[in-house]
This record gives sequence, C-alpha cells and structure tokens, in this order.
Amino acid sequence: MKGNLYTLSYAAILGTVCALLLTAASSFTAPYRAANAEAEEILNILTALKVSFQADASPEQLVEIFNTNVRRRSRGGQTLYEYCPPDAEGKTQAAAVRFSGPGLWGPINGFLALEPDMRTIRGVTFYEQEETPGLGGEIASVWFRRQFEGKRIADETGKIGIIIKPGGKASTINEVDAITGATMTCDKVEVILNEVINKIVEERNKDG
Amino acid sequence: MSETSALVILIAAIFTNNILLTNFLGMCSFIACSGQIRTAVGLGTAVTFVMTATTILNFAIYHFILIPLGLDHLTFIVFIAVIAAFVQFVEMFVERFSPKLYFALGIFLPLITVNCAILGASLFMVIRNYTFVQSAGFGFGAGLGWAVAIILMAGLRQKMAYSNIPQPFQGVPIAMIVTCVLAMAFMGFAGMVSIQ
Amino acid sequence: MADRQQPGCLSCGVKGLCGGRGLLTLKDGAWTNNPLAVQVLGICSALAVTNRLESSLVMGAALIFVCVGSNLFVSLLRKRTPHRIRMITEVAIIATFVILFDQFLKAFYWDMSKQLGPYVGLIITNCIIMGRAEAFALQNPPILSIVDGVANGLGYAVALAIIGFFRELLGAGEVLGYAVLGSGWYTPNQLMILAPGAFFVFGVVIAIFNALKGPDT
Repeated sequence: MKGNLYTLSYAAILGTVCALLLTAASSFTAPYRAANAEAEEILNILTALKVSFQADASPEQLVEIFNTNVRRRSRGGQTLYEYCPPDAEGKTQAAAVRFSGPGLWGPINGFLALEPDMRTIRGVTFYEQEETPGLGGEIASVWFRRQFEGKRIADETGKIGIIIKPGGKASTINEVDAITGATMTCDKVEVILNEVINKIVEERNKDG
Repeated sequence: MSETSALVILIAAIFTNNILLTNFLGMCSFIACSGQIRTAVGLGTAVTFVMTATTILNFAIYHFILIPLGLDHLTFIVFIAVIAAFVQFVEMFVERFSPKLYFALGIFLPLITVNCAILGASLFMVIRNYTFVQSAGFGFGAGLGWAVAIILMAGLRQKMAYSNIPQPFQGVPIAMIVTCVLAMAFMGFAGMVSIQ
Repeated sequence: MADRQQPGCLSCGVKGLCGGRGLLTLKDGAWTNNPLAVQVLGICSALAVTNRLESSLVMGAALIFVCVGSNLFVSLLRKRTPHRIRMITEVAIIATFVILFDQFLKAFYWDMSKQLGPYVGLIITNCIIMGRAEAFALQNPPILSIVDGVANGLGYAVALAIIGFFRELLGAGEVLGYAVLGSGWYTPNQLMILAPGAFFVFGVVIAIFNALKGPDT
C-alpha cells in the first residue's frame, strides 16, 4: 500500500510540475508567437503587393511598414489591402485580396495582388499550404508564383479566369504553367484563385 | 479539405502519401522487423489497428477537450499518453481474452508505443484539420500504407538474403537503398486518384 | 589498487567527476555506437528534415538539448522513480523538453518551426532519447549522463548534418541557401530532396561509415 501511495504521489507531482512548466513557457512565448504569426501574414501581403522591405526585417518593422503603407478597405464582403505609399498622394498602387480554400491535403491560403486597373496580376503568395513537398508544395516557390506577375485575370475575349496549364504550354495572357506531377494541387489552386477573381470582378462591375 | 472524401484520403494515404515512404514515419521498427514476411504481417496488423483507434480517440480528445479548454500546448504530451495507455490497455485485453493472439502479437505492442508513425498520424490529423470521418479514413489508410510498405520490404529482404552484398552495405544500407527504389515506385502513383 | 583512471580522462580536469569514464562515454556515444549509423535509431527525423542543411542543424541542436535534458533529469530522479512507472516518467520528461524547445522555436525562429513542422513533436518518439534514458541515465550519475546525452546528441547531429549537406548540395545545388553548384552546368537532382533521395543518401552514408569503422571484431 505504501508503495502504491508513493507511486501515485510521485506520478501526480511529476505530472503537475511538467504541466506547470509547459504552461509557463507557453504563456511566456505566446506574445512572440502571435507576433510571428501576424508578421508572417503581413509579410505575405507586402510581398504580394510588391511593397519593398528589408529581407531580414523584424516583425515590428514589418508591422510598421504595413501600417504606414497599406490601407484596409472592406468592399462587399471582401477585405482589400490597398497599397498607398505616403508619397503617392493617396493613389492606390495595388490591391491585395486574401483567398482561401481546400487544397489536396489541407487548406491553401494566400494573397492575390492586382494592379490598380484591377485586371492585371501584380503578385500572388501562398502563406499556408500542406501540399506534397517537392510537388504540390512548389506552389509556394518563387518560380511558380512569379509566373503570375503581369498576367491578366481574363483572356483576350474577356472570359474571366486564369488557367493553370499542364504540359508547359502556357501561352496566352491568362495562362501559367502547372507543376509537373502536381496536377491535382494545381487544379485546386486554379479553382481557389478563380473563385476570388470572380468575386473581385463582381465588385469591380458593381462600382461601374 | 473538407471536400476530400475519406475514401480518397484513405487510398492516398496508402499509395501517394504513404506515411512511411513519403513521410518517413515508423522507420525504426520498419528496419528492425522487416526481415520476415510473417513478422511484418503481424506488426503491420497491430500498427493498423492501433493507428486507426488512436487517431479517432485523439480526434475526440483534441476537439472536445484540449481546444475548448485552451490546452492545445499540451497536445503532444496528451496524444502520446493516450497512445501509451491504449496500447497498454490492448495488451491487457488481448492477454486476458485471447492468449493465442497475445502470443502472436503481444511482443509487438511495446514496440508500437514508440512507433513515430502512430503519433505522426495523430499530429497530421490535427495539422490538416480533418473531420471525424476523414480522421478515421486517414488513420486506417496510414496504417494500411505502413503495413503494405513493411510487408513489401520483408518480401524483398527475404530474397536479398541470397545476394552477394559488399560488406559495408550489408544490413541497413542496402535496406535503405531498396527502400529508395520502393519510394520511387510509389511516387509513380501520383495522379492515380482523381477527386471529383 | 593502482591507478584506475581510464586513459584520457584528464580532459575535464576534475578527478572522479565522471568516475573516469567521461571520454570513453563520449567516444562511445558519438562514434563507436553512433545512434544513427550503428544503433540505427531516430531515422524518421533524419530522413524528413535533412532536405536542407539548416533544418538538419536545428534538428541536431534540438536532439542534443532534449537528450541532455532528459538524461540529466532521469538520472537525477533515478533513485526515486518507482520501477512500474519509469517508462511514463521518461516519456513525460522527454515530452516536456521537446515541447519547451518547440515553443521557443515558434517564438524565436518561426520560419524554421514551419519548415520542421510535426517533426519537432516527433522527437518525443525518437528512439535515441528514450533508449539513452532507459539504458544509460537510469543507471548512471547525472554528470556522466549529461556526457552521454551530449555524445549521442552530437553523434546524431553530425550524421544529420552530413546527410543534409549532401542532399541540399545535390538536390538544389546549394549549401545553407547559398548557390554552390552553378545553375549553368548543374541541374539539381530534385529526387535528392524528395523521399527516395533521403533513403539513398542515408544508405550510402551508413555504408561509408561502416567501411571507415571496419568490421566488428
């Protein structure tokens, strides 16, 4: 009996000490972790908008750059992040919209940035994706994202939508190359992007 | 991902995203127990069972206890405790009710507690935000995938026992290189499963 | 009795601190019984995170931290731990150190945390740490256990670094992100960064290690 009591109290004390230690560490690091998460999101918005910043900027610096240069605006259920640098007299240089949707293995979240004409793509970032590393995961790579820059969200006939084309045959103004071996991921990305593009066009038409 | 059906997740977990050949989980027991097909089948079955059950259990605990109480920083420790407790419980249960099964399977059970694939499956379930049905499908599929990989490996190693392998490569190195080829083969499954 | 000191123990300068076995433990953990190449443990992380040298180094550091911490505390508690719950005690201590590392990684090295993903948590099931706790720390005094933790952690970290170095070099032409093999003449072998490359490089590294070490006498 004495042995059992000792075992139980030992286990209880050990469990408590561990839980306390972890909770303490968790609360201590919580503000840093939250700042990192926020900074990451801001980093993605800034990258998509092509706002210049130091590659090794700290989270605080990024937040500051964000606050001085980017303006949040709500339009019909969509939140637009508008890039208005202080020296541009309030003219919008670019606008970014968040997109979110199901990928193959997890959610795909990112930002799509458009030029002021709201027809040409300025940039795209993927800040959350769980796709297969080396295959679908390449959507976050620089080469894949860079393809989108300068492309339009509609083809020559005015039909809305971008196409991610497999086989390396992307040619028209609204086509980009898919990733070899990641057809499913690219299909999903195409759907997600076109969904947000359609919404943007809807809002744009409403404005006249 | 809520649109991906559990069946697709299951099939993909066996072939295109095999938890061992793609995510490298469960390697230690894979290397140790892949010498004989019979051992591999036994271990594979045990792992599949435990993986399915613990993924479902951990889903419930994570979503109904840890998250509501804001305790998600204790996720790792709770998950592994659940796995250890479950394996212990299964061991007692099997020993009591089926000594024959215990004799065949029992030695594997302690090995399973430290099998990173089991904890990994639960962690992936959390990261990928699976629903209950998806979690069940994933747990079962991941277990089956692991079992398929280890059984294939056992078959290959049994054949390799008759080959003339240079001394430095004997044992683990050649097993790894064979696994490399196996992993390449499984990569060929990409695109097999289409999602409607 | 004549001098019982093991050869080379003067390294730490304090007689009797490690019972004369410090250097031997160090060599054993890092080379003779290298956790990755000889004991063949902890392979899961070794294959998963070695696609880049940087993540290999961080994972190596994580392992040293957790192994030393767990060895130390398991050793300190070894005389008080009831035999029946010793495994759970080990797991609890290991898990605590892993979570601590994970939390601080997320706070101060966010990018790496995302790169390593679930593999930090999986250190808990890393057979090396559990193995050392069970086989060494439970029977040895704290200082020596720390040495053992450092030795095994270091042996693992170096092996990881070697694998990571080659995978990144051949798979991306880079080392630590800096392009080394010019993209003009070298087409990166992407397979090296993926799973098959991991298995292959790992197998070859162990084979070379075996060749260097010579057959077991």
